[in-house]
Amino acid sequence: MNENAKDINSDADDPLNASGVSKKSLVIFFVIDTSASMKGKKIGELNTVMEELIPEIRKVGGADTDIKLAVLTFSTETKWMYSFPVSVESFEWIRLNASGVTSMGKAFEELSEKMSRNSFLNSPSLSFAPVIFLMTDGYPSDDYKKGLKMLQSNSWYKFGMKTALGIGNDADDDMLKEFTGSADTVVHAYTGGQLAKMIRIVAVTASQIGSKSMTLAEENKELTENDVFASKQKLLGQQIQELVSKDDDDFSFDTGW
Amino acid sequence: MVELKIGQQIEMEFGGKAKVLKIIGSGGQGIVYLVEFNRMKWALKWYDIDKIKHPKEFRRNIQNNIADGAPSNRFLWPKYLTKELSDGSFGYLMELKPDNFDSFVDILNTYKLVVDPFTGYAEKKPVRFSSLYAMVTAVINIVNAFRQLHRDGKSYQDLNDGGFFINVDTGAVLVCDCDNIAPEGSNFGIGGKPGYMAPEIVRGIAKPDVQTDKYSLAVVLFRLLFRGDPMEGERVVKDVCLTETSELKHYGQNALFVYDPYDASNRPVMGIHDNVIKFWRLYPDYIKDAFIRSFTVGLEDPNKRIIENEWQQLFIRLRAEIIKCDCGRTNFTTMFGKNDESTYKCPKCGSIFPTISFSNHDFRFPLYAGRKFFDCEIDMDSNEFLNVAGEIVANKNNPSILGIRNCSEKNWKVKMPDGKYYNVPSGKGFQIWDGLEIDFGNVTAKID
Repeated sequence: MNENAKDINSDADDPLNASGVSKKSLVIFFVIDTSASMKGKKIGELNTVMEELIPEIRKVGGADTDIKLAVLTFSTETKWMYSFPVSVESFEWIRLNASGVTSMGKAFEELSEKMSRNSFLNSPSLSFAPVIFLMTDGYPSDDYKKGLKMLQSNSWYKFGMKTALGIGNDADDDMLKEFTGSADTVVHAYTGGQLAKMIRIVAVTASQIGSKSMTLAEENKELTENDVFASKQKLLGQQIQELVSKDDDDFSFDTGW
Repeated sequence: MVELKIGQQIEMEFGGKAKVLKIIGSGGQGIVYLVEFNRMKWALKWYDIDKIKHPKEFRRNIQNNIADGAPSNRFLWPKYLTKELSDGSFGYLMELKPDNFDSFVDILNTYKLVVDPFTGYAEKKPVRFSSLYAMVTAVINIVNAFRQLHRDGKSYQDLNDGGFFINVDTGAVLVCDCDNIAPEGSNFGIGGKPGYMAPEIVRGIAKPDVQTDKYSLAVVLFRLLFRGDPMEGERVVKDVCLTETSELKHYGQNALFVYDPYDASNRPVMGIHDNVIKFWRLYPDYIKDAFIRSFTVGLEDPNKRIIENEWQQLFIRLRAEIIKCDCGRTNFTTMFGKNDESTYKCPKCGSIFPTISFSNHDFRFPLYAGRKFFDCEIDMDSNEFLNVAGEIVANKNNPSILGIRNCSEKNWKVKMPDGKYYNVPSGKGFQIWDGLEIDFGNVTAKID
């Protein structure tokens, strides 16, 4: 053995000794209302569908995207399920409980603060713009406009894909539209079955588009920046509406909650 | 989308029913189920018909592909179509992937998630090539599969990491997701996967065809060898957030190869692209040059992209230039270093490797026990890159003496130390000596 043996023995020049390919990261923010009105069936259904959803989202990332989840709950106070975004591969859902009032404005402020290069979005490699999914069953009990304004000045929010689910009769779709910036990405659920379906449709579609899709030209025409701007948000709106409209048949109004 | 239910019976186009057993995968265009048909297990790809732009033409194209048959046995090709349901949705049956094949995605990730069916707990199992030989063989197999496809006048259109299964022990390859394959000049709405799409598709000025396949193929090969994205370097990472606009720029209008020899502004970044930095320097120049060509002049001009046969020749050479030393070191000759003009030396243990020159190759083949020669290397007319024609073996009585065994069907004429030529028929061997000459027929080889 020569003197360089240590160097050569190491895996430094073994063409097979690869680490996983560097991935782009996609953080999906779930912003979930856990105020008292969510208690019982709603939060139960939500917990169950989220547990079931995680293995489905795992498959979406493939070898290109590391999908991470960050869950922010809000009632009287706001609370993160984990103190940092957690890879969907090792994510374990902690069942949520509901109590307190609907401090949505506070949640927006908290979200805006963490949606930063110095905080939750600190991956050294490239990131896709995040997916932000708001779920609520009521009207904010605080001044949400102030929080929303703060959020709207956040670049990650601007480029991100925003989507919202209103649960039951009291959720205000107009307010949710303010949050998402487009009507197409707001959906509504009136029954437990619909709640599960909507969460799944929105979360899976958003993670697929967030991590994969690219604008394709309809005609053979050079695309410009304008053509592609916010195209993912538009595509998400289209796909959600297509998927939701398919289920019109069993959209029976149910006030069972 | 309309998901099928477990136990549901799906009517097949030419009669009979396939029974849905379980989900085995999902993709951008639909879901793959395990089904039973004619008492055999099959994979059923079932389309989310809303995601297919032109369902009628799409179905007709699959029908045509089924009629034409697969270009070779390296494809998990569509076999039977189902009837359409009332909403127009349909699927097709293909053979199941054998258990000993892993997805290319898992190879790139270096592990797969195996979910315990009882606890639901996902465990990581490592996935990596068991030998350098297997990895390079996989590359040759991939390239050859696309050569066959393109020779059939078809293009794959959606070439990406989801399109292959690979046996990490042998390098055998199965091309899957063959449903977007279409005759040259046709496209049924698929664009491709970001990162794999040719820049002209990203820009919106071209549709997938054979030329864009070639670009995607180069990306697939780059990812397999260098384990990174050929266009993602410093300049791209600076954007921090990959918005639609930056994707258009970095993968379309202003795509820049990380090792562009004339523009260093997009080099791989330490700490992020460590694989690429580490592996790039291991490969010989003829491999690096081919990638540089693909991702510089080939970026702008589709006609300058490397053709499959050229890739095939380059990687057959790379396979021939692997040295496996007894001390455990396996690498390319470039990483062994020359001892003199005609021998290599192991930098770890100092072992010397003699070489043999061939009349049809301008490089020398290193010799070591276990090394194989293939039909295409000793026969000008052969394209067979997997058929072993000869093997280097250690002498049973004295393992330090190496010999060559004729594994081909032909007679070889071999010059022995007495200076005379002898016939070496199939199955027989002879000692390697300084001055050895072999006449294979239309190719000769010698140690000098």
